[in-house]
Amino acid sequence: MKMVALAYGFIWLAVFSYVFLISRRLGKLNGEMDELRRRIDRLKP
Amino acid sequence: MGLVQKIFYFHVPCAWLLMLSTLVCASGSVAYLFGGSERGDRVALSAAELGVVFGMCVLVSGPLWARAAWGVYWQWEARLTSSLLLWLMLLAYVLARRYGGSSARRLAAALALFAAIDIPLVYFSVRFFRSIHPSNTVVSTLGPGMRGAFWLSLLAFTALWSVLLAARLAVESAQTELMDLEIMLDQVEEKKV
Repeated sequence: MKMVALAYGFIWLAVFSYVFLISRRLGKLNGEMDELRRRIDRLKP
Repeated sequence: MGLVQKIFYFHVPCAWLLMLSTLVCASGSVAYLFGGSERGDRVALSAAELGVVFGMCVLVSGPLWARAAWGVYWQWEARLTSSLLLWLMLLAYVLARRYGGSSARRLAAALALFAAIDIPLVYFSVRFFRSIHPSNTVVSTLGPGMRGAFWLSLLAFTALWSVLLAARLAVESAQTELMDLEIMLDQVEEKKV
């Protein structure tokens, strides 16, 4: 039982960690996008 | 084997996804190396990352099953060693891409082709070498109830992999597009000044 729980636990942890990493990258990307929008707004006459 | 057999339903799909990721990574790398495809390069990087994640799952769940089945966590035999090598090559690819800068892209792509050569070695190793690892035909020996659960698990894992690949690829494409826009904006700002 211990081995099965460890194996299943690790796999779900790995998958969720990866999903979290992707969402963090997406968040960073949104931040950069906002910064880009601000720069474009500054250029507008 | 008892309850520990349940590891099989996660372990085999993860192993399949490790090989699929390597194959997709190598295909993308071929498109980038010989056709200059930027999209191919992005697909390769996304697939390599997924290969590292699912490869890690194989290399952790396998020894846990082996401890219960063989009494040891690890044996330096063909299937296990070639799988570890495959994972290390994908890890090297991802690290080269992360820390090697743009000049490492071609080197990483060549590494992906090298990793693809390891796939048949991983798959056929149990046939060509003396191995304590279960053979590739073990699925056909499963009982009817177990076989359905196995294929369902394989399908679910492949669907999860596809969704993750699409999400990672979307992030990578957006990042590239954003960088291009930033360069363009820099040029416009310079002209204005």
